[in-house]
Amino acid sequence: MQHGFANATRRARIFGLALVLLGALPLRAQSSTPASPAPAPVAMREVVDEFGRTVRVPQIPARIVSLAPSLTETVYALGAQDRLVGDTDYCDFPPDAQKKAKVGGPINPNLEEIAALHPDLVLVTKEINRLDTVRALDTLGIPAYATDARNVDEILSTTQKLADVLGVPENGKSLTSDLQSRLAELHAKLEPFPPSRVLFIVWTEPLISVGKNTFIADALRKADAASIVESTQDWPQMSLEEVVRLRPEYLVFAESHSDAGSRDFEVLANRPGWNILDAVRNHHFAVISDAVNRPAPRIVSAIEDLARQLHPGAFQEAPAPEKPATPAPSNPPAAAPVRMTHNTQPLSLEFACAR
Amino acid sequence: MRPLTLTRLLLRCGILTAILFAVVILALKLGAVQVSLYGLTRDLIQVLLGHSNNISSDYVLIVLNIRLPRILLAIVVGASLSVAGVSFQALLRNPLADPYVLGISTGAAVGSILALIVENQLNLPPEYAGLITPFGAFLGAALTIAAVYILGRRDGQVDSNTLLLGGIITASFLAAIVTFLMSTLAGSNLRGASYWLMGSLSTLPPKSLLYLLAVGFLAAAGAIYTTASDLNLLLAGEKEAMHLGVDVPRVRIVVYLAASILTGLAVSVSGAIGYVGLLVPHVMRLIFGSDHRMLLPASALGGAIALVVADTAARTLVAPSELSVGAVTAMVGAPFFIYLLRRRMA
Repeated sequence: MQHGFANATRRARIFGLALVLLGALPLRAQSSTPASPAPAPVAMREVVDEFGRTVRVPQIPARIVSLAPSLTETVYALGAQDRLVGDTDYCDFPPDAQKKAKVGGPINPNLEEIAALHPDLVLVTKEINRLDTVRALDTLGIPAYATDARNVDEILSTTQKLADVLGVPENGKSLTSDLQSRLAELHAKLEPFPPSRVLFIVWTEPLISVGKNTFIADALRKADAASIVESTQDWPQMSLEEVVRLRPEYLVFAESHSDAGSRDFEVLANRPGWNILDAVRNHHFAVISDAVNRPAPRIVSAIEDLARQLHPGAFQEAPAPEKPATPAPSNPPAAAPVRMTHNTQPLSLEFACAR
Repeated sequence: MRPLTLTRLLLRCGILTAILFAVVILALKLGAVQVSLYGLTRDLIQVLLGHSNNISSDYVLIVLNIRLPRILLAIVVGASLSVAGVSFQALLRNPLADPYVLGISTGAAVGSILALIVENQLNLPPEYAGLITPFGAFLGAALTIAAVYILGRRDGQVDSNTLLLGGIITASFLAAIVTFLMSTLAGSNLRGASYWLMGSLSTLPPKSLLYLLAVGFLAAAGAIYTTASDLNLLLAGEKEAMHLGVDVPRVRIVVYLAASILTGLAVSVSGAIGYVGLLVPHVMRLIFGSDHRMLLPASALGGAIALVVADTAARTLVAPSELSVGAVTAMVGAPFFIYLLRRRMA
């Protein structure tokens, strides 16, 4: 026994040594090589991103990789698309973005593809990217600027900050001031109308809606629509029972083309139990652009679109908004500027307070 | 089978090491970005000679800084899972035992999710933040092993069937907790977790973590290897081994602890990768017999080879996107396991 034991430990040592040798060769090599490609000395500056990280970025980034569709859209909206060298498989807007080099999906981008593009700035967002990706980029010495917009106002401020980082602050100012004035105009138009109670449908099977802390819920608010879902979860799964209790006036679908939205509505309407809902019986549904799903400048167009469908009265040229010609369906034409729904159930009161 | 001599042991390990080396070279070549075998060899030689400044930055960045750490991670994780598998199979005298089946991987998953939640609350500096999840996973694995071990005891004795059943029940209980945590907690921060649950090596490990893993593996695998002869005798049964002079409780504790460390370390960096710990030991047993002095190193090398191959497939099959390596091992492993099962019965 003793002998065998001694033998065994010796073998263990040899075996271990072999593995160490195997591992040591390349590891040594790895540690002796510099990580960053740094082609030429470029003027750098330090910026603080929306994670609170201090990032060293070039004065004018020349090779940008975007890891989220919303960021790609923002880069285009800021007119910096010529310096965008790569984006994700899901970056489909504007259509030109599909022609950029692809680095995989936002959740699991391919680090090799990113590195091969030699970016001097990678854009990430807390909304869909992973912290692991940011850490990996740090390890590789590739600067990553992170955004985190949680409501419509933050989408605008994030856009402006991004414009500064990309070296196009002027474009940012004109873009955001334009968006700001459109939102203000919309707000003025919608002021007299009580908000519609809507169920925003992310997914039909299972039924997924949005929580109250999402930027989508905030976008709905800007369109004078109140999401009936009070959850603090971002993507709560809803039961029919809950939906019936919450009594939405409108179902809202976000689709890339409106036919798909109508189809989704038909699917839901034909499901057992759903015709209990007034919104289903009255065919009250709105289909808006899926831009509402992305925290990018285009969300303002989606907000305007939704407002037009929910409150057509607000957009009529006819004067006297106090008494709209076609009142928002299933809302009494009560035009009191009090922002409360006609539904006086405790829940809606609670919601009105929450606003 | 001829008796195992040191020469034969080293020869066989040498062959396996050579195969591993070849697989690593191939894995270094393959990937989303094309690298020629000639260029790769030339650059590797440059690196070995210490002239790493001569090579193009593309190779440095992609091959050495992205692919190589990942391959090394696959080697350590594959070897760890496989050695843990052999150990559990020997200890429980049950060919179905492996970290995945015993619920240890799922326990580590629960630990890592809880750690992610804690991490989000703590707002740690980024240098430390990355270490919380591995630590949580390791803690989860260790606690699960303790729980399964207690569940498996009957009248002060460990009953291997009870233990295995206890493991399966624990695994499904923990899986339910994972689902619960994922659906109740604010979703956005756990996006990584769901990806991680399927088993993945795509997270670039910090160099310090890689060293820690290698040291942990060598220590734990070394400890298990000291009991290799005892494990051979244990195959005959615990009582029999005891009569033959094996200190069974000591062996049990050593192997349990070491195998838990191996599993915890592996799962903490890669998530729950199934079938490596189950299948590789079986294949190695078919080739080399069931002498643990041979089986342990063979399984370590075999596990490393298997996971490097599986991860290379995961990286390249749908490039530039990626499969989860757990899906690859399950897709290949499950049918292969059934084949082995049928073969044994025939």
